This record gives sequence, structure tokens and C-alpha cells, in this order.
Amino acid sequence: MSPVLWGLHRAFSFPFTQLEEQALSHIVSIQTEVRDPVAIRSACDRLNLPPPYFGTVKLFSSSATGWAVELPEWRYPVVADINTGKLAYDNYNGRWGEQKLLDSFLQRYAVEKASIEARKRGHSVIEQPLKDGSIKLTVSVGGGL
Amino acid sequence: MSKTIEITVLPNGQTKVETKGFVGSACRQASQFMERALGQQTDEVFKAEFHQSASSQHRIQQGE
Repeated sequence: MSPVLWGLHRAFSFPFTQLEEQALSHIVSIQTEVRDPVAIRSACDRLNLPPPYFGTVKLFSSSATGWAVELPEWRYPVVADINTGKLAYDNYNGRWGEQKLLDSFLQRYAVEKASIEARKRGHSVIEQPLKDGSIKLTVSVGGGL
Repeated sequence: MSKTIEITVLPNGQTKVETKGFVGSACRQASQFMERALGQQTDEVFKAEFHQSASSQHRIQQGE
């Protein structure tokens, strides 16, 4: 191989070879979407909320169809459309329901969903509350990958 | 090194998924099922510490 070609070969192939052989940490940030009725129910159970129900629910000036969750002191339910993953609600900028209660529901939903998915694959899960209010799940992945 | 997926769920419900102990592109594949289940990916980063892990492995092999 000519020196020029060898140089090009090194320049382009080395990083990819290195990537394939090295241990990597991979971090992904995710905007939570609410798509799983089982995890919705599980989140309601854990937060001692009434069981969710499917239907068309009236909000202040509109209505929404999906899985309705009743949060404490909220005037209208929060409705999860599991086809889009989006939530419909009207808390009138906090006057008809505290945002932090909705945030708590979303956090618990994500924890339940992640745990369900990990266990489906036979992985063990450890849940740990953190000082900043976050919840950390450690999923042990056995063999295979 | 054990293979783990760490999921941090923030108080507002947003999540961060991090793989540890995987080699090469397996780290990306390992957490794909979790990312898809949780929602929409907004950011993705490969952590630089993999250089240290590689060095450690290399030293162990030399000592054998």
C-alpha cells in the first residue's frame, strides 16, 4: 500500500475500529410519553390515586378521550392518549391543580414503565430515591449483549 | 465489568438512560428497548470515560 493510501486508511479506519473495541457509556435523554395503560394503573396504585379509567372526559372548555387519571385537588382529570403519548389537562396555570402533582405522576409512570420493560426481559431492577427528588433505577443486564 | 442500564427519572418525569459496561456499539443496542418504551429521545451522548476503561483492560492483559 502506498504511503498516501496507508495514511488515509489509518485516518479513516482507526476511530471506527477503536469504537467497536472499547467500553462505552451511552447517555440518552428522553421526553416521557404516556402510552402504557398497565404502567398508568401501576403508577396510580403506587401514588394511592383512584384507578384510571378509559373514556371521554370533559375538561373546562373541551373534552379528551383516553385514560383518565384523577389527581388530588385537581378540578379535571388528566387524560392520557396512548396513541400519541400526550396528556390533555386543564389546570388553569396551577389554579385548578398543582403542577407538581402532575410531575409526580409522570415520574412514577416512567419508573413503573421502565421497571415493567426491564422485567419483561428478565433483568433485575433496583430502585433508589435520590436527594434531588429523582428516582434512579439500576437494571442489571445478564449475559447476551 | 458488570453490564447495567441506569435510568434516572427526574422529578418532572423526564428520564436519562445510561448504559455502562458494554463494548462498542452494543452500548447503543442495549438500551434501545428502554428508550423506545419511555418516549421521545431528545439528546444522545457517548461518554469519554471509555478511554480509561480501555486502558484498564489493557493493563490487566499486560500483567497476565
